Amino acid sequence: MSGGKVDIKVVLLGKAYAGKTSLVERYIHNRFLGETVPYQNTIGAAFGAKTVTVNNQNVVIGIWDTAGSERYEAMSRIYYRGAKAAIVCYDLTDKSSFDRARFWIGELQKYEQGCQIYLCGTKFDIIEDNPDLRTVSERDAHALALDVRGENYETSSKTGKDIDKIFTKIAVDYLASKTAHKNEVDADIVELRKHPKKHLCQGCS
Amino acid sequence: MATSAQNKKKTFHIDETDLLCKNGCGFYGNPAWQGFCSKCYREVYQTAHKAQMQHDAAKEASQISPILKKGPQLADVRASFSKFEEKKTQQVNKRSNTFKSFLRKTPNKDNQPLVKEPRRISAESQKIGTEFAEFLKSIKRKPAALEISKLVRGFIERVQHNQEFSIEDLSEMVQDFYTSLNDKLNSQPVFKGFTSEVIDKVMDFAERYILTRLYPSIFCHPSTNDEERDLAIQNRIRSLHWIRAPQLDTLINENDPAIRHELDSAITDIIELDSKRATQDKLQCIVSCSKHIFEVLRKSKQGPASADEFLPALIYIVLKANPPLLQSNIQYITRFANPTRLMSGEEGYYFTNLCCAVSFVESINAESLNISNTDFERYMSGEAVPPGSGNEQICKGLQMMYDNLKVLAELRQRQEKVMAEVLQLQADMNEFKENFIKKVDEAKERTPLIIRPRKVKVDPDIAYSGQNSNLPSPLTPLKVHVDNSHVAIVAEQMLVDDLSDLQGNDNVMETKDGSEEMEPTGQ
Repeated sequence: MSGGKVDIKVVLLGKAYAGKTSLVERYIHNRFLGETVPYQNTIGAAFGAKTVTVNNQNVVIGIWDTAGSERYEAMSRIYYRGAKAAIVCYDLTDKSSFDRARFWIGELQKYEQGCQIYLCGTKFDIIEDNPDLRTVSERDAHALALDVRGENYETSSKTGKDIDKIFTKIAVDYLASKTAHKNEVDADIVELRKHPKKHLCQGCS
Repeated sequence: MATSAQNKKKTFHIDETDLLCKNGCGFYGNPAWQGFCSKCYREVYQTAHKAQMQHDAAKEASQISPILKKGPQLADVRASFSKFEEKKTQQVNKRSNTFKSFLRKTPNKDNQPLVKEPRRISAESQKIGTEFAEFLKSIKRKPAALEISKLVRGFIERVQHNQEFSIEDLSEMVQDFYTSLNDKLNSQPVFKGFTSEVIDKVMDFAERYILTRLYPSIFCHPSTNDEERDLAIQNRIRSLHWIRAPQLDTLINENDPAIRHELDSAITDIIELDSKRATQDKLQCIVSCSKHIFEVLRKSKQGPASADEFLPALIYIVLKANPPLLQSNIQYITRFANPTRLMSGEEGYYFTNLCCAVSFVESINAESLNISNTDFERYMSGEAVPPGSGNEQICKGLQMMYDNLKVLAELRQRQEKVMAEVLQLQADMNEFKENFIKKVDEAKERTPLIIRPRKVKVDPDIAYSGQNSNLPSPLTPLKVHVDNSHVAIVAEQMLVDDLSDLQGNDNVMETKDGSEEMEPTGQ
């Protein structure tokens, strides 16, 4: 566990206009579009990377935004190949987006088992102002998250609520799983060291 | 046509006939066997393979011929394939030796004659060889540099001696080499003390060098069906020429010249993909293309774009550009790029997007474009073009002319507007002037100008000299040293007056007449 670089690929899945891009903007640039920053000044990007330090270890979180339209869902598998974590976004005020979230979770479980799932309800600020607008209950979301041994967050990109928390958690979880994995193969390392010696002997003879 | 259209609805475009062997022997075919069954594939492939090899040999010979001009063996190369193969191994040795000579400054006996012979290394390989050698020199650790060059050279030789390997094996070899090189850089004592940046750089250069050197033999390998897929996608894109931005739900506004300029840059970048050798450079083309697309979207939308808008735009660019050897390039990058590059970072992200775009183009159907099946079929066969796309058929010059005419018309309108505004301004100015004069005149009438005599500053001494005869005379100090007797007399007189005045004051109560009498004396 030296200062080596660790890259995590995190995919963002969710219905179009569920707030994926705002989530990235808030996390990477700590701003909310349309309010403090005029729209014209941002180029917009679908990829963002940020380095966080967890337990003295630098972790580069690369966030891959995906096209949420159903037209492209056949291709989404290409996106989440090799992803270490997935943030499945749904709009707290839009029931259909939660159904889409279910779909993606199903896909992820089928094709990308190594990917840890984080469920993320967006636009919390809206239901905070007007609780009647909530269409996805916290209990439903929590149950879904439990199903996949993931976690559920209710965030707001406008206020920044819980955004950093998700990404920090991703980094911590990933490092923990990595150390666990490393401990498993620790025994093999001894063997690996023996190999070069054998090669040397062959080379000499 | 009608039946296949029905099938397409359910299963993209694989129908029963596609599944069967292309030879029509009745067995099922397999895309991995280029649509033949295993038996027919073997028969067909043997001849095709031979033809391909010969074609490649001819191609390669013509490629290196400019450098070979001095060499006497040119004719032999073209004449027989076996001799070519022989030469290739010679070439390999020469290449590795020349690379060695980059590293060893002192030329030894073996190397010297080689330098005089015509080089057969392509310009790209030479360039990267020099760069790599310079980089290794810059590390300033001779044993480490030698070890790296030995590993890299050894690997290239090993691959070049195993040309008959299938592409999967070659890919595996390259990937294994990346892993083992990385392991060695991190663990072997020769490389101890290398920072992670240096290791990254070594890995980067190794990848660049190996792939540039091996490019001709591993790109679009004869054992793959890449070439066929290239042609397939090219034809598909050609038959999809009628797709315009709105059908893909992109917001690209093609009429704006500034946006079109960005679009052209994006198209140029993606076409350039094929001209690069190293995966890094290829990926850089994709990244640059994507950046231009974001710029296009930003200008069209007046706001930031997200992945939801980016992917359709990229698909549109791919359709417009129809990049050469697209599948071969994608396969090449997938097989030979360092996997960490494709799994992280911007490059990996945009490459993934390109893969998605290509996959979408391959599977595009009526449903995904929200048009009816019959319309789709008609458009695909070129029988009809969608409404509103007529303008696209005209040539670029004409289109430009129309654009210019439009711009000119706009300009004229603006000019007219400016003229009207100028006239208005002039009228306003005149009106203002008249009004102003009128108002001034009115004001003049209302308050006529009367010039009063000027007030003049008055010198107090002069003022006292005569005019103020009504006032009592001021106190005048007594001048002690005065030569003028007349003045003295006056002063004396005044003093007497004052004294009498004082006396008069005392006597005022007693005799009023006394005081009255005194006044004239004061004058």
